[in-house]
Amino acid sequence: MNTPAFSKVLIANRGEIACRVIRTLDAMGIASVAIHHPVEAAARHARMAGEAVVIHGDTPVAAHLDGAQIIAAARATGAEAIHPGYGFLSENAGFARAVIEAGLTFIGPDHATIALMGDKISARTFAAAHGVPVAPSVLQTADLADFTARAGKIGFPLLIKAAAGGGGKGMIIVRHADELQAAANRAASEALRYFGDGRIYAETYVEAPRHIEVQVLGDGEGGVIHLHERECSVQRRFQKIIEEAPAPNLPPALREEICTAALRIAMAARYRNAGTVEFILGADGRFFFLEMNTRLQVEHPVTEMITGIDLVRAQIEIAAGAALPAALPAPRISGHAIECRICAEDPARDFLPESGRIGRLAFPTAPWLRFEHGLTEGQAITADFDPMLAKLVTHGPDRETAINRMIEALKQLTLLGVTTNIDYLIRVLDHPAFRAGDLHTGFVSAHGAALALPPPGRQARDHAAILAALGCREFVDLVFATPEPYASMGLWRN
Amino acid sequence: MPFTLLLDGEPCEIEILARQPRLLLAVNGRTYLVEPKAGDGMVRIDGETVAFARAEIGETQFLRIAGRTHVAERAGQGGAGGGGGSGANAVKAPMPGLVIRVHKQAGEAVARGEAVITIESMKLQMALGAPRDGVIATLLAEEGGSFDKDAVLALLVSLEGE
Repeated sequence: MNTPAFSKVLIANRGEIACRVIRTLDAMGIASVAIHHPVEAAARHARMAGEAVVIHGDTPVAAHLDGAQIIAAARATGAEAIHPGYGFLSENAGFARAVIEAGLTFIGPDHATIALMGDKISARTFAAAHGVPVAPSVLQTADLADFTARAGKIGFPLLIKAAAGGGGKGMIIVRHADELQAAANRAASEALRYFGDGRIYAETYVEAPRHIEVQVLGDGEGGVIHLHERECSVQRRFQKIIEEAPAPNLPPALREEICTAALRIAMAARYRNAGTVEFILGADGRFFFLEMNTRLQVEHPVTEMITGIDLVRAQIEIAAGAALPAALPAPRISGHAIECRICAEDPARDFLPESGRIGRLAFPTAPWLRFEHGLTEGQAITADFDPMLAKLVTHGPDRETAINRMIEALKQLTLLGVTTNIDYLIRVLDHPAFRAGDLHTGFVSAHGAALALPPPGRQARDHAAILAALGCREFVDLVFATPEPYASMGLWRN
Repeated sequence: MPFTLLLDGEPCEIEILARQPRLLLAVNGRTYLVEPKAGDGMVRIDGETVAFARAEIGETQFLRIAGRTHVAERAGQGGAGGGGGSGANAVKAPMPGLVIRVHKQAGEAVARGEAVITIESMKLQMALGAPRDGVIATLLAEEGGSFDKDAVLALLVSLEGE
């Protein structure tokens, strides 16, 4: 891949992923342009980039979704390409097309591929047509009553989802026929509200499934490779919190079958750039296509750590025209990697988002770990953006070492000023079922009681109380307000 | 008079038993010998070095000790409680977010648990119910408005004749 890349790239994102992309741009000698809303002028990504452009909107998120404004920023700064990161406009086919029409390069797939995979119905039809297993399902027709009648025939439990959905929004599990009608009505109205598209579909619900996904890279000319699988089964609210690569306890033949299925979809789509094919895997070894994400994933670092491949660099080189040799074998893997998503949320209150301010940030460094973040001390954590604050990624020669290194790193990580899931993640990693690799998407609720915060020991509590008291000016004043008869004896602190 | 803190939501009394020759404190009646300045980010308690990190956000202290995070507030200092015993009268936001819908206007009667306001945070909607039977005295939220965690969105008064 010696094709000259770009001289300047705009990152249409923020937070840790913008910082992550800038790091690779720096390493490649490519100038970077960040965008930020006025509320995040002091943000790390805006300061790391060579240039930063202010974008406006009714809300910060609206600014980051304003494709026309972002393309204008790219043109004004002379950027030749736009890296969309994940979330925001990364899977917006209209944005990808507008970038091309503006004479710029979109660092991602063709807009037609984004549109194909962005619709769950067309994506699964495509997968099935190319011999990849999909779960038995029923699509909604104009008649909701007809839909529920046909859905009921698949058998229960059923999962009802929004056709245009993602991230677990608008998903409902239906266990009995008499719940079906109400669930379908609710899913359709939620789908309309969240995605502006009320179409829903129902499919077989696989009990206690694992979430296995395969990283692919394609050059758009038919050259496609896979970079092995990731296990993303530990989730809460249908969203991942711990990911790892490779997947533990996956029989080699099944691993091969899943990776080959992903490759088949990517080849059929003549896929260009980085993408991920997601599957659900039942306890019986049956697996079904879930969706294809046509972008870099949050959890891409675990793949990078076991393959040694910089996926952002690969994305940029492919966008600049580099070809992958057809039928290239999957790269060798080395060891095991785990990622934890550090979120501003309270695990003791059903993972509800929290707000606050980063009062203190300190993180460990080691050759086997990455702390991916976009944080600065003093930064407010509000409902403006996603509650994911940072990611901690560790690597080890084997899974047990990677887990132990992660637990140690989480203990050393200091991120104070907002309630986070850091301590909760330690309990998950240390749970015997996690250590045994006995994972499924219901892990968090199935082990809810064991993962709950144990009350601290009396001594730990008392130590915390002493430190808290010493952190209060009023208390320190009481300590130092030495009554006169003792003053002559000198201060205790000497 | 002991110094009172709310540690992880539970009250803690800390008393200064002696300042000389060493600082001796009692926490809920248990005594500890404390050297507050054992080093940067360290204290020594009963001869044992305890490393910690601290951040203060407003009236709240966040402490991380031995891989565990604690939250401490001065007791009886108002703060999140809102002061004036408004706890049982307040409809408070359990998370930061946006107001999606206001179901009850000022002056309307509500029953305990009845939805007053629907909020949304990270595409998660939640109806906030009345903490008790009453009448909406003050509505502090409007549709489309945003708020932080623990913000008071509505206040109730008792029904007449109660």
